Amino acid sequence: MKRRDFIRTSALAGGGLLLSFQAVAKRIDGKPVAADADVLGDYIKITPQGDVLFQFVKHEMGQGVSTAMAQILAEELCADWEKVKIEFPMADKKFEHDTGGSCTIIYQWDRLRSAGATARQLLVEAAARQWNTTASNCYADHHEVINKTNSQRLGFGALASAAAKLTPPREATLKDKRDFRVIGQPKPAKLVPAIVTGQLKYGIDVHMPGMLYAVIARCPVFKGKLKSFDATNALKVKGVKKVFTTKPITGLQLESPYMPHDIREGVVVVADSFWAACKGRELLKIEWDEGPNGKYSTEDFEALAAEHAQHRTDPTGYVGDENAVADVGHVRKTLRASYVFPHQIHACMEPLNCTAHTHPEGCELWLGTQAPHLIVFELNRVFKFTEDKIKIHLHPSGGGFGRRYYPDMAVEAAFISKEAGHVPVKMIWTREDDHLHNFGHLFQHMEYQAGLDKDNKLYAWYEKELRTYTWGAKYADPQLPSMAYNIPNLRYDFEDLIQHELVQSSAWRGVVGHGRFYHECFIDEIAADQKIDPYQFRLSLLRNDDVFVGDPVPVSGSRMRRVLMLAAEKANWGKPLPAGRGMGIAVCIYGGSYVAVIAEVTVRDHQLSVDQVTIGVDCGKVINPSGTSNQITGGIVWSLTALFYGGLPIKNGRAVYSNFHQNKLLRMNECPAMEVHFVETDEERPGGVGEISSALGVPAVLNAIFAATGKRIRKVPLRADAFA
Amino acid sequence: MATFLLNINQHPREVDVDPQMPLLWVIRDFLGLTGTKYGCGIAQCGACTVHLDGKAVRSCSIPMSAVGAKNITTIEGLSPDGQHALQRAWQQEDVPQCGYCQAGQIMTAAAFLEQQPHPTDDDITRAMSGNLCRCGTYLRIHAAVKRAAAQTKTP
Repeated sequence: MKRRDFIRTSALAGGGLLLSFQAVAKRIDGKPVAADADVLGDYIKITPQGDVLFQFVKHEMGQGVSTAMAQILAEELCADWEKVKIEFPMADKKFEHDTGGSCTIIYQWDRLRSAGATARQLLVEAAARQWNTTASNCYADHHEVINKTNSQRLGFGALASAAAKLTPPREATLKDKRDFRVIGQPKPAKLVPAIVTGQLKYGIDVHMPGMLYAVIARCPVFKGKLKSFDATNALKVKGVKKVFTTKPITGLQLESPYMPHDIREGVVVVADSFWAACKGRELLKIEWDEGPNGKYSTEDFEALAAEHAQHRTDPTGYVGDENAVADVGHVRKTLRASYVFPHQIHACMEPLNCTAHTHPEGCELWLGTQAPHLIVFELNRVFKFTEDKIKIHLHPSGGGFGRRYYPDMAVEAAFISKEAGHVPVKMIWTREDDHLHNFGHLFQHMEYQAGLDKDNKLYAWYEKELRTYTWGAKYADPQLPSMAYNIPNLRYDFEDLIQHELVQSSAWRGVVGHGRFYHECFIDEIAADQKIDPYQFRLSLLRNDDVFVGDPVPVSGSRMRRVLMLAAEKANWGKPLPAGRGMGIAVCIYGGSYVAVIAEVTVRDHQLSVDQVTIGVDCGKVINPSGTSNQITGGIVWSLTALFYGGLPIKNGRAVYSNFHQNKLLRMNECPAMEVHFVETDEERPGGVGEISSALGVPAVLNAIFAATGKRIRKVPLRADAFA
Repeated sequence: MATFLLNINQHPREVDVDPQMPLLWVIRDFLGLTGTKYGCGIAQCGACTVHLDGKAVRSCSIPMSAVGAKNITTIEGLSPDGQHALQRAWQQEDVPQCGYCQAGQIMTAAAFLEQQPHPTDDDITRAMSGNLCRCGTYLRIHAAVKRAAAQTKTP
């Protein structure tokens, strides 16, 4: 169903224009909100002083989307960019707050343009009436409306109150893209001034009178239980107010319809300072029932996955002959490989936190969250608070990366506030909590087989994915053929490993791409087997047509070819390299965008250095080249952390790493030189950018390592002895 | 508990806290200056970096009892108007993504440039490699430090 927006105007208290939108939004029960329901959302405010206050309903977690969205709006409004300000409204069921999957701009593009254009037309109409002329005799430019006949001018601020009294046009006239002045400009992010002066308020920065602090000692083993605890010593710490168990809100909560998740059992310490709460927690004596995972370790789990990978399941999807890879009539040679992408922690720089203040019927929350509606759903389910009694103050966050999609921290904080006597409580996960009992990136084992025919052509591709998270569905939609390669027979099998899980799996920046894009390594293996240059091999394999695979956007062989050729040209692919150096390619389609990454590495003295990464991108219409490049280079750093250091090893049910001294993140001295190049394109619409490179650095570098050393590595993180 | 007289951002402030409490939590929870961030608590990430008598330190790992009469500068006190050369460079290079680590990055860079106003590229990398950025803005941080350094004229 095509989305329709209903636009209304109203006057702001104190004068000015308030443009409200009602989307046909989905309620938390999945039913659409009735079109005539009185649930208008406020969208843009234009004050009599001329300030444009953009009500940013999505979650800003560093992906720059608040700036990009404001740019689209400012463009159509013909606003002075300097007068556009971003405000964070309260959560509201009528807004589509959900932020994830690199799709915000994709879905907000039309709405924002329409909103900006509507407001512009209202301002123009207001000016025309004031001048006793027609709207067609006036135009908006740089925060003013100008009379074509006599060059009279009126500022947006002066017109806002009059515009608020007008009826919005049925249809807004959008600007011609040739007239774009804000879209496509490398505007610095709107939040930078607040960030560099320490003024931006993240959830963790919330403070209120009488607020207490809480930390939780959570069970160190997934699915373990709290047996008993003794708080005698903890309660002796000055400032510790209360100690109690979180048992009533814990245990497997898989009935959540969108994002299944678990909250571990634990003991909470509430104190008048964060420091006292931490000291109290250290003095707790707790006995855990470690449950089924107490003797379970990463090696056991990975061995189980590898064993399951050997068995075919029913194909989830296929193209051509589902059994082609085993067709001895056609297939003369079979190549096989297994690749593993392990669990990872998110390590959001702002540790998970939530401040809650409950009352008997409901609560007020302060936090950064990617999915307020899930919080509302969970608070309703767990505490029976009704929607109208849940107020959520939305803050930008210091990194979300998928982890802040889950509502567990809000449930914990609300429970603590309630049990502490309905007082405001800020609950913080320490960095140790972040490592020791957190959710992890889902695990993926990829099993590949390729069948080559008598002419050495790639005839059949078999791929089995074993994974620990399925978003509620038994099988993920395979969306074959997502690779843009022209392979006559493709088969995809899927097996759900969630029952064998070591930790709670979750979304992680790049989501399933991390395992899926290992196809770029296997493609490389096939090229190497045939002694064909990996770049030429990909060019020969890319399809010439566009194919629809379920998304509104087709998989386009020609768009992929262009980014690949651009990256190869900029990276000077094929240049002579000394021994120990090599280049590797990986390409993907993600969020409707096309990406090619070329990595150049050196392996010397048993050490790997990633020297240069060149990225070719076609993300359609680029809203902000600076922010987009920042996302893409940041995504490469993300993937290199997974390559060098990542993983969430578990020994006897317990996480091995407790903080950044063990779980290392890439640092500046390890960061490669990076260049982002955009394909020149006439694409009218933007694609996603937040996750398009984060799953591509690994396969590109692994392929470069092969080029440099002849060594094929099929699992991250690199072992300490990888180049011994 | 003990009473401490602090000199922070050129203002005297009195706090009554556990002498073991790290300076970070005093700054954030007792003085209300939340620009200084908690990242790891073990001096591994640099998000909590402040200046003690002009020297960059990890405030998460300095107990109150060790602060004494030293002058404390936080991101809020780096410049009176938010226009320190580094703050301007951060804007011009459009450095931050989530921004959470950036106050610590800027405080590290500010103390470094005071010591070494004309650094080489390698000097900058060495000075800044103690600060983590999960969003991966390292190249821009480097460029911004370099830009700010270039604006510092040789006397």
